[in-house]
Amino acid sequence: MKFGLFYELSVPRPWTRESERTVYNNALEQVKLADELGFDYVWAVEHHFLEEYSHCPAPELFLTAAAMVTRRIRVGHGIVVCVPEFNHPIKIAEKTAVLDILSGGRLDVGTGRSATWTELGGFNADPDLTKQTWDEFVRCLPKMWTSERYSYQGQFWSMPERAILPKVYQRPHPPMWVAVTSPGTELDAADRGLGSLGLTFGMFAEQEKKIAEYRRRIQLCNPVGDFVNDTVATVNFLYCHEDEKTGYETGRRMADTFNYLATQLISARELYPTRSYQSLGLLPQLRRQATGPDAGAQGGDGLCFGSPARIINALQRWQSVGVDCVNFLLNANEVIPQADVLASIRLFAKEVMPAFRKPVVA
Amino acid sequence: MPLFGTLDASTATTLPVMPNLDTEAWSLPDAEILQCAFEVGGDSLALLPRAMHPAIPFYVSIWVTRYPESPVGAFTLAQVRIVGRAGAHPRGFVLCAVASTAGAVSALRDRWGFPATLGAVSLMRYHDRVVGKVVRDGATILDCALVHPELLSPGDVQYIASVTLADVVENGGTRRSIVQVDPDYTLKRAERGRPSVTAFDAAAWNASGVVFRHPVSASITVCDTDLPRIRFVMDPDLPAYRGTRRVR
Repeated sequence: MKFGLFYELSVPRPWTRESERTVYNNALEQVKLADELGFDYVWAVEHHFLEEYSHCPAPELFLTAAAMVTRRIRVGHGIVVCVPEFNHPIKIAEKTAVLDILSGGRLDVGTGRSATWTELGGFNADPDLTKQTWDEFVRCLPKMWTSERYSYQGQFWSMPERAILPKVYQRPHPPMWVAVTSPGTELDAADRGLGSLGLTFGMFAEQEKKIAEYRRRIQLCNPVGDFVNDTVATVNFLYCHEDEKTGYETGRRMADTFNYLATQLISARELYPTRSYQSLGLLPQLRRQATGPDAGAQGGDGLCFGSPARIINALQRWQSVGVDCVNFLLNANEVIPQADVLASIRLFAKEVMPAFRKPVVA
Repeated sequence: MPLFGTLDASTATTLPVMPNLDTEAWSLPDAEILQCAFEVGGDSLALLPRAMHPAIPFYVSIWVTRYPESPVGAFTLAQVRIVGRAGAHPRGFVLCAVASTAGAVSALRDRWGFPATLGAVSLMRYHDRVVGKVVRDGATILDCALVHPELLSPGDVQYIASVTLADVVENGGTRRSIVQVDPDYTLKRAERGRPSVTAFDAAAWNASGVVFRHPVSASITVCDTDLPRIRFVMDPDLPAYRGTRRVR
């Protein structure tokens, strides 16, 4: 099993001149340490206008900085919004190629389409069309990376033949993923040979079913790229502490804070009735998790906070349902002091990671 | 921590008085609901109780509804809500309501705390639009429309529950409370279109300062609505996660 960090970069009010800079610097310090300790990935989201919840509109810049202070950890664009009002596909191809070069071929590219009215409305994007634009973008991107010259006539964008430069450093190209929040998106990922970048905290039984269907479907996929990324990642919270009670309570506080902030967001469907966002998706699920009858018991069912032994147990269960990689949120709105976050990372690397890095005995 | 509303509930006047919280449920079959949503500017925080967080961007949801059957007979109802969050839950805070019959006004005030007044409320369908109009005291205080309706699946429409501000008679006194009104909707038909407002008297809707900035969406549905018994009330001055009380 592989492990990563996952950044929303939430910034608590009151906002001062230094508060955003502090959050970014803390994150970079965490990434540097994680790289030294053997974590596999650092992912950063693309979000816009989401007050407090995420101040990370330019993940490629954060990830470039991360790549400059690390040597081995992979940098994940998690995700780039494949909606033309947000990002032109040529710019996506160019910027990701530059990041792949600067990171020495350590880039993974997650793709998605945004799920909040705050963002979609802010860019005047049509929620009805985002699934279609995403589909068009992900089919173009690998070809833009790998073709000497490229031209395209599509429904949502077109270009005459040009050389899109630079080319990605990795050969044939960086692994590609899809953000999976809405039920059914894992099937879209499988059909296109893309990795499933899970962004929900669903429980074991729900995830097991999704992963089994993903594995079944991806065997017969028509990959959009030059290879199939048959990988399932999920997201989790991490707070590891020697004392079980301290670890649990601190992690719980972080999870509650994150969920509470997330529930303040306006889902696309809350304001704009559309077929394109039919399923419940992330936000209602988080509302249930934050306030439902099971809210107090979430930590006992797969969330990674508490003692190393408890976290090992949770991760073994995730592994047993087919998860290949777990990406961790380390903080939310800076409710955990930076020194404690760093200590949690160190303890995780020392006590938990070895349980999943044992050599396979034939 | 997210922003909070700044409305000092103690300064509100002419609030509904609910004799108790023993409201019986109502079934309202085959209701037609026109909803128009707009992002708004102005000091929207001042319209929300301190218990609630604003939705960001601030937005207002206008409802014009025709109820062909109810325990008080057929009536039409218009309401203007500013949408926020009670803790983690999306809720539309009802700024003002206008109902077409005295029986409906009385029942909605007494049973669910709607700040309802009497007026002429109409919901009219034309070939290219559905128009909601409210006239009170001889003045048009609302003229809104869904323009160019297109069919959707009923499952594509999501309604946000309401909350009202009322004085509730309890234990021999009155307690100023936010009352949760969370109907069940069984949608049978749904259409979506572009929202339009040609007349809106903000002051008449207790929405002084609200300025319509950006039209978002409009929907018209046919649905069975079950107005519920009161389940939760909140202290208007405490964050909802601390000040919510379960009634039943």
